[in-house]
Amino acid sequence: MRRGIAIAAALLLLALPWLLHAVLPANQAGFWTGNILGRALVFGIIAMSLTFLATYGGFVSLAQMMIAGVAGYTLAIFVEGAVPRIVGGAGYALAIPLGVLAATLMGLLVGAIAVRTRDIYLLMITLSLSMGVFRFVETNITWFNGYEGIRNVVGPSLWGLDFRNPWVFYHVTLGTAVLLFAGVMYLVRSPFGLVLQGIRDNPRRVAALGYNVALHRIAAFGVAGFIAGCGGVLATIYNIGISPGTIGLGATVNVLIMAVIGGLGHPVGAFLGSFIFTVFDTFAATVYDRDRFNTLIGIVFLVIVLASPDGVLGVGTRLRRLLGRRAADK
Amino acid sequence: MGVRCFNVCLLGKNCVHPAIRLTGVSRRFGALQAVRDVSFDVMPGERRAVLGPNGAGKTTLFNTICGDFPPTAGRIELFGTDITRLKPHQRTRLGIGRTYQTSLLFNGLSVLDNLFIAVRGLRPRRFSFLRPGRDDPGLAQARALAERMRLSHLLGVEVVNLSHGQRRQLEVGMALAGDPRVLMLDEPAAGLSPGDRPELLRLLRELPRTLTLILIEHDMDIALPAADIVTVMKDGEVVVEATPDRIEDDPVVQAIYLGGGH
Repeated sequence: MRRGIAIAAALLLLALPWLLHAVLPANQAGFWTGNILGRALVFGIIAMSLTFLATYGGFVSLAQMMIAGVAGYTLAIFVEGAVPRIVGGAGYALAIPLGVLAATLMGLLVGAIAVRTRDIYLLMITLSLSMGVFRFVETNITWFNGYEGIRNVVGPSLWGLDFRNPWVFYHVTLGTAVLLFAGVMYLVRSPFGLVLQGIRDNPRRVAALGYNVALHRIAAFGVAGFIAGCGGVLATIYNIGISPGTIGLGATVNVLIMAVIGGLGHPVGAFLGSFIFTVFDTFAATVYDRDRFNTLIGIVFLVIVLASPDGVLGVGTRLRRLLGRRAADK
Repeated sequence: MGVRCFNVCLLGKNCVHPAIRLTGVSRRFGALQAVRDVSFDVMPGERRAVLGPNGAGKTTLFNTICGDFPPTAGRIELFGTDITRLKPHQRTRLGIGRTYQTSLLFNGLSVLDNLFIAVRGLRPRRFSFLRPGRDDPGLAQARALAERMRLSHLLGVEVVNLSHGQRRQLEVGMALAGDPRVLMLDEPAAGLSPGDRPELLRLLRELPRTLTLILIEHDMDIALPAADIVTVMKDGEVVVEATPDRIEDDPVVQAIYLGGGH
């Protein structure tokens, strides 16, 4: 039943660009496919790395955007054609795995540094790591080209199709998101995933049962780093490059907002949240005063979180419960 | 002390190690001496109850045996092996299973997952990204434990939705994962409704005699029928050690526990 819903949702998402094309003019259909849906999926992947840690491990990490940035910078540094040329010489087939690998290693490192902290202290330590990397990247010219960042990371061409074509970009991103999502759903039922949830509920008991809590925690951050790295690579290609602003405080908080308004509790919440965020981030300025559109965005998010503390996912659960009660009453 | 002599004579000198031997065990928290110079033997298969008023040091003594707080002085042996300095999970692997006074369960996971984690912790390849197959021995063991604890009909239920009595049963089931030789129960009846108590007592009585049982219990109605020998503690020390039928008549026990203590 649940698998059926998941497959139906995946097929719908697969066909969505054609549906949009049927109802919208060509240029708008392209815009929605690439700049709304594609972008929402990219940031949904990064937000999912946060949701994965928070939902199954109870760790709220503010380092996930920075880790995504590590993947993006690694890609930009090594890939041929990026401006300015830092190292260069590598094709996308090599530079992309290098980026994801670097993000995974950074995830493991963050996990190892934060291994003994919980709750607000974990939040603070991951935030300070993020800001440390941000400042370093912003001021280092030799490796990161400082404030300007690295441009012209155009992405590979796939079987003669330009990656920048919204339809190609959307489907590659959708494929990546679906694979990562399925991977997370597999992982949380594995012994690793069960023990991770055990650590969330009761770390003392997990240790008493003979598990290495630190090892499982660090591995969870490594997995989240891999996910964020995939998102970081796609985000860098989407933006045709990367600059320090990508991993600044604003971007870091945005990822947290996406995860929270979507709902911590299931990885799908990350994608719901990033979609809502992207829509408002794109259209608020045209709906409301250009100088004050952030007020509108803020109010909308406030309303969502006040109406449903567990995000959009919580609304669904509550509706289902309500309908179930109605049905039971009859 | 006559009881211990009886055991030794029955089993023959040195032919069997005690399941648990405590020699001069003490535990100090700063200025507080929680456990003071406790020595006793628990023979294999024995049911031992530890009684005493609040603050007598029962749970601290438990924690020194299970390794949560190693003793500050003294020696602990498990079937003749010195375990004084081992970590809790090392003791678990050597065959000590325990429950906690307040249930330490994984609330967000199902009954089966809780038992599976407990079983899996005792086996090699604990860290794994691969899902267990349908015929995974760990899953089979977890199901068998649920059966034993009469929780088979609740396998898929999240632990947060269990009743208090069911949580205590699951707690015992998790302590039995990996077939421990010594089972330590810290107030298994705490907070149970009168209706749930006979069920728990029946579960305890059904445990095989190959298993050594040590339980802390406030409730005499659970402790006395379940125990072969009762150890009474007060202020961190052992004050009486006797069979259950003698305990109720013991003047010291009556003074500190049954009547005068409160």
